[in-house]
Amino acid sequence: MQTDNHESICRLIDKSLAGDISGQEEQSVRQHLLTCSACRQYQDVSNRAIAGLGGFAFGTDPNLPGKIFAALAIRAAQLETQRLSHRKLAWSYAAALVLTLAGSFAAIHLGDWFATAFSATHQQIQLGLVALWIVPSVFFCLLLPTLPMMSKRWMHAKGVSL
Amino acid sequence: MTLAATESEPERVARGLRRRDVALLQTLVQQYQYRLVRYFVFLLGTRDQVDDLVQETWLRVLERGGSYDGESRFEPWLFAIARNLAIDHTRKRRLLSLDSNEDEREPAVPSPVSNKASPFEQAARTEDAQHLARSLQSLQPVYREALVLRFQEELSLQEISQVVGASLSTVSSRIYRGLAALRQQINGGAHAN
Repeated sequence: MQTDNHESICRLIDKSLAGDISGQEEQSVRQHLLTCSACRQYQDVSNRAIAGLGGFAFGTDPNLPGKIFAALAIRAAQLETQRLSHRKLAWSYAAALVLTLAGSFAAIHLGDWFATAFSATHQQIQLGLVALWIVPSVFFCLLLPTLPMMSKRWMHAKGVSL
Repeated sequence: MTLAATESEPERVARGLRRRDVALLQTLVQQYQYRLVRYFVFLLGTRDQVDDLVQETWLRVLERGGSYDGESRFEPWLFAIARNLAIDHTRKRRLLSLDSNEDEREPAVPSPVSNKASPFEQAARTEDAQHLARSLQSLQPVYREALVLRFQEELSLQEISQVVGASLSTVSSRIYRGLAALRQQINGGAHAN
């Protein structure tokens, strides 16, 4: 019975050291330790082991922070360039989309007005708008999202790295 | 009252990381340099390439800083990044060692019979640390990791569980086993003296 109690108290000491003990359990450990030298020794050895972990001093390279700062500055500049190019790409995509919508609107709603203004048939105006406005802007809309992937492939093929 | 005056330290770090504030990163590099070195040595059991891993950790912090929310402490997030890099590094080394010839193979962990002192033996500064050094070198990395995170980094069980991606009971059990191995060594050392 006494051995069982020792074992359970030692388990509670481990739990306490791991930071996983309740207030009630902590109280029972404290009371037990007042009268039990074997468990006190267990706790002392555990505390010595933990304190021993603090007795290591791993050497560090004094030049390491400088090297890291330099690497961080280069990487930060690369990331900033990437961010700006992504932003440009997003604006270009938005512009192409707006142009496509505007072209479609013009073809649908302003076809008659253009036909009168340029003395052409409605069908000729529609074809002109589709060929010179809507198709090119749709093409840019579809092409732009694939540009980063294509540029990565090109750089990979040429062995260029950022 | 300004935003800077009301925000907590983790929130300040999270805000700086989102903006990729290099000055903040430089402060963090200096603050955590030794702790990262120690964590990697405990995890890998070797000093080789630890400096490269420390540098790689900070580059990853710069790249993925936006994913740190500032709601929990910075340390578990940082050590989780370091841990993932150490795992990738170990995998690559294993693959390289499989690719190379038998003669060129390097042991992943320094051999206990090797004359070269382990990183723990080299770093031991107290008598107890010297006793523990041998035990630490032969202990499994997951136990060493649990010990350093709990007793040197003073992370809670929940935080350690977050770093290592294991349940609380697994983390507790690793701490108990690690402690048992160290106690044995301390007892052995005491008897030897």
